Amino acid sequence: MPSQAHRAPVLVTRGLTKRYRGADALVDLDLEIGAGEVVGYLGPNGAGKTTTIRLLLGLIRPTSGTARLFGLDSRRDAVAIHRRLAFVGGEASLWPGLTGAETLHLLGRVQGRVDVAYRDELVARFALDPGKKVRAYSKGNRQKLILIGALMTRADLLVLDEPTAGLDPLMEQAFRLSIHEARDRGQTVFLSSHILSEVEALCDRVGILRAGRLVEMGTMAELRHLSARTVEATFAGAVPDVALVPGVTAVSVDGGTVRCQVRGPVEPLLRVLVDSGVTGLLSREPSLEELFLARYGGDAHAEAHADAHADAPAPR
Amino acid sequence: MTASVAPTVATDAPGTRPVRSPGTVVAGRTAGAAVRSGAVWGAVFGVAVASSAISYSTLYTSAAQRHALATAYGANLATSALFGPAPGLDTVAGFTSFKVSMSLMVLGGVWGLLTATRLLRGEEDAGRWELLLAGRTTPRRAVAQALAGMGAGVVVLWVLTAAATALVGRDAKVAIAPGPASFFALAMVATAAMFVGVGGVTSQLAGTRRQAAAWAATVLGVAYAIRLVADAGVGLHGLIWASPLGWVEELGALTAPRPVALLPIAALTAALVVVAVALAGRRDIGAGLVADVDHARPRLSHLSGPTGLALRLTRPTVLAWWIAITLSGLLYGLIARSAGSTISGSSVHQVFARLGATGTGAQAVLGVCFLVLAVLVAFVAAGQLTAARGEEATGRLDNLLVRPVSPTAWLTGRIAVAIGALVGAGVLGGLAAWAGAATQHAGVRIGVVVLAGVNLVPPAVVVLGLGVLVLGIAPRATSAVVYGYLSWSLLVLVVGGIGATSHWVLDTSVFHQMAAAPAVPVDWTANAVMVGVAAVLGAVGVLAFRHRDLAGA
Repeated sequence: MPSQAHRAPVLVTRGLTKRYRGADALVDLDLEIGAGEVVGYLGPNGAGKTTTIRLLLGLIRPTSGTARLFGLDSRRDAVAIHRRLAFVGGEASLWPGLTGAETLHLLGRVQGRVDVAYRDELVARFALDPGKKVRAYSKGNRQKLILIGALMTRADLLVLDEPTAGLDPLMEQAFRLSIHEARDRGQTVFLSSHILSEVEALCDRVGILRAGRLVEMGTMAELRHLSARTVEATFAGAVPDVALVPGVTAVSVDGGTVRCQVRGPVEPLLRVLVDSGVTGLLSREPSLEELFLARYGGDAHAEAHADAHADAPAPR
Repeated sequence: MTASVAPTVATDAPGTRPVRSPGTVVAGRTAGAAVRSGAVWGAVFGVAVASSAISYSTLYTSAAQRHALATAYGANLATSALFGPAPGLDTVAGFTSFKVSMSLMVLGGVWGLLTATRLLRGEEDAGRWELLLAGRTTPRRAVAQALAGMGAGVVVLWVLTAAATALVGRDAKVAIAPGPASFFALAMVATAAMFVGVGGVTSQLAGTRRQAAAWAATVLGVAYAIRLVADAGVGLHGLIWASPLGWVEELGALTAPRPVALLPIAALTAALVVVAVALAGRRDIGAGLVADVDHARPRLSHLSGPTGLALRLTRPTVLAWWIAITLSGLLYGLIARSAGSTISGSSVHQVFARLGATGTGAQAVLGVCFLVLAVLVAFVAAGQLTAARGEEATGRLDNLLVRPVSPTAWLTGRIAVAIGALVGAGVLGGLAAWAGAATQHAGVRIGVVVLAGVNLVPPAVVVLGLGVLVLGIAPRATSAVVYGYLSWSLLVLVVGGIGATSHWVLDTSVFHQMAAAPAVPVDWTANAVMVGVAAVLGAVGVLAFRHRDLAGA
């Protein structure tokens, strides 16, 4: 695969802002997504994820800034953009009187391109009964219908807004398989979600949104670098005091076991552990969930963290 | 809503206190909604009664004039079939009762069935019912409470109608005492009470609100048809006791009071409430007792784009309207000749002239009847707009607009489908009226009547244009503005028919702009102006829609 730098970006936003009656739904979003990338978009409810996506789709107008997809303006050239894009929303609102098959037929005709063989494969994969009327489907089945309606087009860009809401774990697996297939075919995916394991499993890069602002954007490795890793050490004899070791925070002692977090180089801590006769060592990188919770652990919690860091010696 | 989700209701922990007894939450919520809508319609009922009484008492001052009116209408079987018998037209009370009874009875029935299906099946469709039933209540208790809450709405409707009647009755020229006024108001809301019950039962039987409302409306239509036959003077007057609307007629409020007819009304209302409550406990939430067809063979013929989808989605509603308008046209055609023979040289002539229908004979009668058809066709337009707005409000439109469909293409497609529905309605109404008249050898020419049918379309197109404008600039107000303007136009039409209204007011009614064809020739200039105004309003609306954000419910 050629590196991303050689590809024209599929999606670019510059200073994208949306205000509703004085409330900031989205502020100054700068985003760039290259062809073939799978990008996750995270944030708690109300952070501005759906606003971003409705702006990208041209369903609402930006207060300021621009969004360009395939080099075209999201609002002015919406129809041309939509020929190359497929969207899945988290709230499946479909026509209750149409059957699943009728809905897929309609959506395919409106889109203008359908891989019929792939559509049938997806119907089988998601175990959907297309003869049923939409009003008789459960929420999960409606979501499957919308997913199939988007995936079957093999669009160049998939824009997914909490696409697996209401799906059971088996169907979640079917969804992940489908996204892997899309990536293998070179499709670009923009996945907004708050299912962190899903984003962790699927995405090359992750953006984190907080109160309408993009606070973090990078690969999983880059994001992990920003956060502390957890270290758990067991000792046969006396437990050393590691609290003063540079970069170490959140120390807790439970019998012969020390648990702490370490930011930056681990060498100073390892030296202390080895000198104290460590017998067991467990170290792991923070999960996306921990990264996310660290970002959103509440303002009081965040301030407490900031204080702790101010007291601790500089990590580097 | 707030009461049912307030944490204090959900817990019995020490120190917390329920905001309201959980036993009355449903009743309170439903009563709130029903009372609001009952107040609006109570005001409409009151204005209708008051305006009829005042205009009769100021217009027909001499005994001779009143006697002429009574002889003209009193024995007219055609108007008796359509609007009910007209005894005592030589008194203000008798005239008022004849003038408003049938419309208020039917409107009351429509209000009752729409309110019941909205607050029962509609709430269930929206998923709010589930939240309530997850709390401390059972389906039976919830339905009983909701029906009790709607009872409060009926009471408000009654109080306002009675108050307006009594108030206008204090005028010495009108002279209706408070007692008869309250009894009259009771008669006017009796249909509302019965059809709250009917809507309550169909809400248990049908699987969706639309289906429940359609079944209840069918019951209303059958009740109207039965009393129509009973009042048509063909020797079947005994049938009047087979129709709930007939019972209300038999109450004889304001003319010859017969309170005994309250018995079947009260019995039916009570029975329907009991049946609705009993049925509510026998079914699953979200499902109807009459099973839906869940599986269907795909019908793909229309599903190739947004406009085809609009055709498919609106087809059942449009077909129902077309059938209703065809039947009405047929009926008007059937009565045109006999009704026309009675108006020559009578004072009814003046009433017709005020509605714009000069001349005599069958064509004059059809001219007035076609005003009613014009109202029906305008309702088709309003329904199309509400449906279009519904697609946006529910988010179903998103499915199209995230694909290569421009907002302009979607909306113009919807407008085209709506115009097709309107033209079809007009032509069918005209053809049916001609066919009805032809069986009676009324001597009206097909070309004239069909053109009169086409003549019904421009006012409806104005309503459509206005609606598109509102959809473009204030989407959430679409339904309220369109139905509000339609009701206003209808009210002005009714009041204008009695006379004594300024031209400035008359001109605000879209129906006043239409020539009363086939009584008079079609006014193509007026029609061109109406279509032109509609086109400008619609174009501005489409442009505004294109440039605004999509708006949810």
